[in-house]
Amino acid sequence: MNPSFRRLTAAATVLVVAGIVRMPAEQALTEDLRKQGILSRPLDIETQKKVGQGFWAVSLGGLRTLVATVLNLRAFSFFENQRWTQLADTYDTIVQLAPDTDYYWDTASWHMAYNAAAYYQTSSDLPELRRRAEWRQWVERGTAFLEEGTRQNPDSWYLWSRLGWIYSDPNKLIDYEKSAAAYQKAIETGNALPYIRNGAAYALARVPGKETEALELVRKLHQDRRGQVPTMKCLLLSLECTADPCVDSYQLALDIFAGDKEAYHMLSGYYLDFRKNFPTAGVAIALKKLELRLGVPADRSIFKQRNELEETPINPWQQR
Amino acid sequence: MSKALPNRPLNPRRIGVLAFNTFTQLVRMKVFYFLAIFAVIVIGSNSLNLPTNSAPENAGIQVLFAIKNTSIGCMGLFSLVLAVVATGLLLPKDVEDRTLYTILAKPVPRLDYLIGKLVGVTSLIFISLLAMDLLMVGVLQMRTNEVVEMRSQFADGAGYPPEMKARYINETLALGPTWNLQGGVLVVFFRAVVMASVALLLSTFSTSTLFTAVVGFMVLFVGFFQADARDFYFSGTGALGRIGSGAMTVVLPDLQLFNVVDSIIEGKVLEAASLLKIAGVTLFYCVIYTFTSWIIFARKEF
Repeated sequence: MNPSFRRLTAAATVLVVAGIVRMPAEQALTEDLRKQGILSRPLDIETQKKVGQGFWAVSLGGLRTLVATVLNLRAFSFFENQRWTQLADTYDTIVQLAPDTDYYWDTASWHMAYNAAAYYQTSSDLPELRRRAEWRQWVERGTAFLEEGTRQNPDSWYLWSRLGWIYSDPNKLIDYEKSAAAYQKAIETGNALPYIRNGAAYALARVPGKETEALELVRKLHQDRRGQVPTMKCLLLSLECTADPCVDSYQLALDIFAGDKEAYHMLSGYYLDFRKNFPTAGVAIALKKLELRLGVPADRSIFKQRNELEETPINPWQQR
Repeated sequence: MSKALPNRPLNPRRIGVLAFNTFTQLVRMKVFYFLAIFAVIVIGSNSLNLPTNSAPENAGIQVLFAIKNTSIGCMGLFSLVLAVVATGLLLPKDVEDRTLYTILAKPVPRLDYLIGKLVGVTSLIFISLLAMDLLMVGVLQMRTNEVVEMRSQFADGAGYPPEMKARYINETLALGPTWNLQGGVLVVFFRAVVMASVALLLSTFSTSTLFTAVVGFMVLFVGFFQADARDFYFSGTGALGRIGSGAMTVVLPDLQLFNVVDSIIEGKVLEAASLLKIAGVTLFYCVIYTFTSWIIFARKEF
């Protein structure tokens, strides 16, 4: 046998034997790393198609996140040029490449549910029906994106809180029950910032039939310094009045707020902000008594201002 | 009369001299010029602060990701290209310069020669990565400090209790230059070492640098899909497909294993045990490919 051929054969044999030895060990290590969530599974065919030529670059390790960064820049140029479909497609790819970065999920959702939706809402050259359909589609798409983000990152308090926010945004498709549930999930991660609890209470208070549960939460939060905010105080008054309709809301307002002037000022803002759908039981009665006590003239009455605001048409698009 | 000592292979001093010479030889090829480009890229990534809806508590986070993504991505590319091209270049260049004849005419075991070459290349990659890492850490640290400062002000303004503020700040610090990120850079180095070993093996029987580089990049490319082939071997159906995927699996290195770096950049923690296992796999590849190179190179005539 030719010596050089013999050497090549020997080398190939060593490689094959070593390969057979390492194969099960490598498979076990790969499975272990995948189980730990530190090694991504290969991209699915659909994503491979979307990434296009970049797929070959992405296949090389360590470049997935780099490609995601570059695509994020591209998505930003789509945003600047209002090319919403391309923007959405780009973010679909980005989150496949970097599924654990909550920033991408959040930014994509913001572009869709806020920027794209607002673009169609204000596109006066489009027929009303089309504008409404597009607005709705983009709000739903942005919300769905966040839903998927929370499914893939259940430990991200931030994504849960963004979902809670979007579901209770008065300019989007409101669903207070889902909002409260999302905020609750954010709290359950154990890492949520304190203000998220306030968001949970605000959402829960607006879910029909959950007033008792909301009252308990609001009472608890109100005892904390960070719960001493106007909306929380007004909510406490209203929920207390809902729980016990016989309670003197005027007296309760004086107990909750620091004096009649503060009570009137805070409750007025709350009462005028009726489009946020917060419960208002007892608020009007308390305000009437406070106006009498403070001698507010009829032409400056909060009820007059409320009547004027009610005459302004609201955006009917957000009806689910 | 003293008896001459046997000329045993694996002499650390001899390997060290060969490695140092290889290192110097590569430095003279001005590979470190790449660092200037890298510096521009890292500093540029520091300005990728796109407008977002991020609430004040999350401001500045995306730039930290951008710095890590671009830096580690560039480190990966640079180290792989260097591993394949520089290693593939060494043997043919030594033949061309006649240096190889001078070395092998002396009592230098060929195994020591090969190991010396490999150590020289990997040292160069290591030092390059170290320089790039220091640059990345410097920029990342500065930016992280800025974000921490912003978050600290936000937390004070919002009246967070000390433990909450500390947790909030720690979240930011975890996105900065951590030991976990250093683990990621180490994984990038391990991958380059495996590819350098493969290129060394190829260069022992190849006839030109171009051949080594082309085949080296093909191995690199296929190596990233090797785990898919192995998955198919273990779970797929069809004898022919399984034989093909099995053959690919036993011969080529599994480079997908080193893709853990993607998750590390995203903030996932690579446990020390897993890092050790990856280091073990790297060592195994290194030993096998170097040994195989020696089998071919040991009695090769020039």
